[in-house]
Amino acid sequence: MLIQQLINGLTLGSSYAVIALGLTLVFGVLNIINMAHGGIFMIGAFIGLLLVTEFHVNIFIAILGAMVGGAILGYALEVCALRPLRRKQVSHLAPLISTIGVSIFLESVALLIWGPQTRSFPTEFTGSVIDFQLFKISTVQIISLGTAILLMVALHIWLKRTKIGKAIRATSLSTETASLLGVNTNFIISLTVMVASALGAAAGVLVGLTFDAIEPMMGVVIGFKGLAVLILGGLGNIPGAMAGGFILGLAEVLTVAYGDSSYRDAVAFGLIIILLFWRPQGLFGSKDKGGRP
Amino acid sequence: MDIFNPYYLQIIMFMIVNAIMGISIYITLATGQLSLGAAGFMSVGAYVAALLTLKLSLPISLAILIGGLCAMLVAFIIGLPTTRLQGLYLAIATLGFGEVVRVIFLNLDITNGALGLSGIPSIAQEITVFFYEIGLDSIGDLDAQTLGNIGLVLILLILLSLLIFFCVRINHSRIGRAFAAIKADAHAAELMGINVVYYKMAAFMIGAFVAGVGGGLYAHITFFINPTDFSYHKVVQILLYPVFGGSNVVWGSLLGSFVLTLLPEVLRFMADYRDVIYGILLVVLMAVRPDGLITEQVVERIGRRFGWIQEYKPTAEKQVLTERFQRMRAEHLDQPKDNSR
Repeated sequence: MLIQQLINGLTLGSSYAVIALGLTLVFGVLNIINMAHGGIFMIGAFIGLLLVTEFHVNIFIAILGAMVGGAILGYALEVCALRPLRRKQVSHLAPLISTIGVSIFLESVALLIWGPQTRSFPTEFTGSVIDFQLFKISTVQIISLGTAILLMVALHIWLKRTKIGKAIRATSLSTETASLLGVNTNFIISLTVMVASALGAAAGVLVGLTFDAIEPMMGVVIGFKGLAVLILGGLGNIPGAMAGGFILGLAEVLTVAYGDSSYRDAVAFGLIIILLFWRPQGLFGSKDKGGRP
Repeated sequence: MDIFNPYYLQIIMFMIVNAIMGISIYITLATGQLSLGAAGFMSVGAYVAALLTLKLSLPISLAILIGGLCAMLVAFIIGLPTTRLQGLYLAIATLGFGEVVRVIFLNLDITNGALGLSGIPSIAQEITVFFYEIGLDSIGDLDAQTLGNIGLVLILLILLSLLIFFCVRINHSRIGRAFAAIKADAHAAELMGINVVYYKMAAFMIGAFVAGVGGGLYAHITFFINPTDFSYHKVVQILLYPVFGGSNVVWGSLLGSFVLTLLPEVLRFMADYRDVIYGILLVVLMAVRPDGLITEQVVERIGRRFGWIQEYKPTAEKQVLTERFQRMRAEHLDQPKDNSR
């Protein structure tokens, strides 16, 4: 029983980790919290669903398609909502509100196009369950967990081993210095937002598969959980975001299994409020950066 | 009379309650803290007040006051860790607080879960009854119910005016200057000997109290509340008022809440596209006027235009000193510059 819950928790947590990675990438480079991430996540889920139902493609191609769609949306977000603010000196409030505007826009457009009803993936994707003696795991869980881990590993290698990854890390340390050293920071920032949004869109398909429910409001709660993971792991901390995602996934599943399922959505924030009493810089954040925007 | 029909009066009531909510954000924001917990505090105030009048049949005014105080108490507890946080951490933590409160109200028995509380006594009705008792059941062609509604609007207006008066006065006091210093730079303020945590907490608690009172009023005007009334969308709506109108002056929240409460009513014929327009409006506004429509400069210009703010005229003594200083400065500048620095 416990092992089964742990598997479920890890699957859920891997999706949370992918969402939080997108948020933490943008935070690291731009020092803003991207409230539109939940909206892009939701659009990604719908793109994946459309590709699967209308074009009958393989689920992995659907995830890839959602990522491309997410990247395009991310570019639009950067150009429309973030770049104009970067040009002038504004308070840290302005980008937050601007991205909230984008998320409202995406949600209401999705509501207009697809309506409020919940949709689900065709049963062939949610079907089979593999029964080990100790636990059961469904193909959906394998796909979700596998893709999430693949994305995380790919991102890690990309950031650590490639030249562009180095440029992103330099930009996140100091935009001005990176710019002086010959990094095209505008390009790097656009690229980061696009990659982050692609991750969000991929997570949308994964969560859509896991819960088998896709609707225009799904981004709001998930976006909040991504924020909770962000705080849990420490702002701008990539390994922290991964670990935080798994911790939240496990905590939620265990709450449902051994506690009260109706409090499930409160766990994330209950966790961070407790954490903020004790370690405001997050579990993996360094002390001197704690709580500083 | 047509302007006194219940629909218009109801819109005016909501405009005023929303203005109170907007000002609650403004007060917290005056110390540079972005709190997204206003909907959470509002729901605490609304539920506490509604439960007190429903279950204990307390007088409405007392219940609303207690609701506000409860919200303030909750703010104190939440504020202990969160007012030490800065910027975005606070925003997320308070957003999380609002969600936790919503989920708790959704699951408690006493709050009737997702069904919410209904049949909350209405203030307008109380006023109508009061008018009956003093033998005032109609004026001209206004019936007793309309009179009750008008009475409620007047009471709300008085509350709002008191609140604005309070905000304007506080700006000119020691507390207001401490708030402004913290907003400009918390570290510099701390170095000047301002107790930053204390003033941040004060602003946070006053904001929560105002939001709680707003929630209590809301509950007793709509006489029905449920947890979804205080969801993330409410948070965004409330946040929009000061941001749209101008978050640096109290008049901004007022303008923002009036315009943004009226706008959906005017745009009712295109209700489907309302949220799309809202979203675009936010993005454009941040790109064009990140400080909102009314900024401090606008207030000053209008103030000078109508003579509310006097032009600064130095006294004769000050003028002499200024001239002497300028002469000394000119002499100093005439001397050859010391290049060794």
